[in-house]
Amino acid sequence: MIASTIALYFYTKQLLQNEVEEELFSTEARIENSLKSNTQPFSLPPVIEVVEISDLKEEFLKDTLIYDPSQSEDEVFRELSTFKKINNKYYRITVRNLVVESKDILIAIVVSYFIIILLAFIFLYYLNSEGNRKLWAPFFKNLEVMKGFSIKSNRPIKMLDSDILEFRELNNEILMLTKKVRDDYQNLKQFTEDLSHEMQTPLAIMQAKIENIINEKKLSEDQYLQFSSLQKDILRLKQLNKRLTLLTKIENNQFINIDKIDLTKIINKTVENFKELFDADIHFSEAKKVFVLMDPYLAEVLCNNLISNAVKHSEESKPVNITCTKECLIIKNAGNTAIAMPENLFHRFYRESNSNHSTGLGLAIVKKICELYDFDISYKFQDNNHMFTILFKSTKI
Amino acid sequence: MKFLIAEDELDLQQSIVTYLERDANVCEVASNYNEALQKVELYDYDVIILDINLVTGSGLDVLRAIKKSKHTAGVIIISANNSLDNKLEGLDLGADDYLTKPFHLAELNSRVKAILRRGKFGGDETIEFNEIKIDTKSRTAYINDIAINLTRKEYDLLLFFITNQDRVLSKEIIAEHLWGDDSDLVDNFDFIYVHINNLRKKMSKESAKYIKTAYGSGYKFQNN
Repeated sequence: MIASTIALYFYTKQLLQNEVEEELFSTEARIENSLKSNTQPFSLPPVIEVVEISDLKEEFLKDTLIYDPSQSEDEVFRELSTFKKINNKYYRITVRNLVVESKDILIAIVVSYFIIILLAFIFLYYLNSEGNRKLWAPFFKNLEVMKGFSIKSNRPIKMLDSDILEFRELNNEILMLTKKVRDDYQNLKQFTEDLSHEMQTPLAIMQAKIENIINEKKLSEDQYLQFSSLQKDILRLKQLNKRLTLLTKIENNQFINIDKIDLTKIINKTVENFKELFDADIHFSEAKKVFVLMDPYLAEVLCNNLISNAVKHSEESKPVNITCTKECLIIKNAGNTAIAMPENLFHRFYRESNSNHSTGLGLAIVKKICELYDFDISYKFQDNNHMFTILFKSTKI
Repeated sequence: MKFLIAEDELDLQQSIVTYLERDANVCEVASNYNEALQKVELYDYDVIILDINLVTGSGLDVLRAIKKSKHTAGVIIISANNSLDNKLEGLDLGADDYLTKPFHLAELNSRVKAILRRGKFGGDETIEFNEIKIDTKSRTAYINDIAINLTRKEYDLLLFFITNQDRVLSKEIIAEHLWGDDSDLVDNFDFIYVHINNLRKKMSKESAKYIKTAYGSGYKFQNN
């Protein structure tokens, strides 16, 4: 662009100069002719000057600055001076012509360039964006569709068709990918359901047969202990199964039943049950009702899991303290040492020690329930107490 | 008593029959949907134990047929599916109880007995065993017509023992009956001893010593 501007500048300048010079020569020729035909020499300074001189010199061309009173500034003139012998007299004929200044040429070029470029830019921009919009419309439409894609949906994703080969290929790939993702998800869900479902019957058979053996055969004490231990393992499997199914159900959003639950009532019931069965020392005295919005079954599971966790891990004969207010639920139990890795506490199958054979899912379920209802659960070890806090947020009434 | 066990898993079906026949009950079996449907239409039963997933059809359809035919039989649904919807649907259709597999036969037995009590005596629900009398409506136990002061769990325990007399009950079975399987306290069944000992003491005071120890760590309710 700059190179073309420079070239154009010099070319235009050259062209103008040639034109001016041609005009100067032609004017000079006319004056010479008029002198030849005995006209009195005349002058029109600064444009034309005819002067009689004594001797001839070489003709020359030059630029000169002459003050122009009409514009009150110096103007560049091209000057042609010729020396001619006409009718035995020597004359110097000087013709001058105003030339366009270089500065003006340059400005004119730059301005016109600028206007051309601007117009071209606006035109191209409009053309491009309009074209792009048409071209990419199916792409953006499909992007929106993809954003709304849910892995749980049963219907295949619906894409807008496009004439553009690349987009069509992209669409096909996305369709295939989402179909595979959906299928995998469905299979996984089906697998979990099938597995837990199909495991129940064999477990039931094992359990029933053990019971009949214990009752019908004469067993040694050792044999009985073996069967008793088998029963315990079956119970473990059963609980594991039940909890995994529960986790899957929560993850699949299958608990859509939401009620106004009086949490203190549920806690009281759970506490009473624990006290009765285990003679556990649990302190809970909250007369005021605390309402939360959640599934009644999950509310029971939540309280049961948290309280049983506290009872299980409480130092011997130390009480478990429960506080429940409108804002939060706090469950504290005494302990000697903090949990080694509190960040893993809510992970599936995380156990601090192998001493108790819990399923390792109780707190994972608590966490999942809290996530479902946007409760904030945290663990702290403070003053030799393990402390679980649940903050109720949006569902608080 | 006459029972029908509609269960397509033959092993489980036979185990249930074996357990229930110990009390001199008569058990008939149905191993598929059509057989179950046929039997409930032809014969009368006191209690029908019904699997929901019968190979060739749904147990819920059998239940509908039972209720349509004005059958007076009590119905216990047993299902491998522990979804709440299924349970509610079964109970809505008129089933008396619902058990999720796997269950203890002792638990099934005590539920069957509970249904029989409710059906037979039309509200006057008492159980008698020698000098012991249990009023299940007011949840009180009497020995020689003297009411004994039992906690809720002790009462449950006594009822469970009496309905499963002459059978060995391991602490696992008792724990599950008292606690349900909602708890994660699998390894800690010691609490059972406390309750059984308390119950034993209260009964021994009235010289009713029927709770025997079996194989060292199990229990058996037995006539002397």
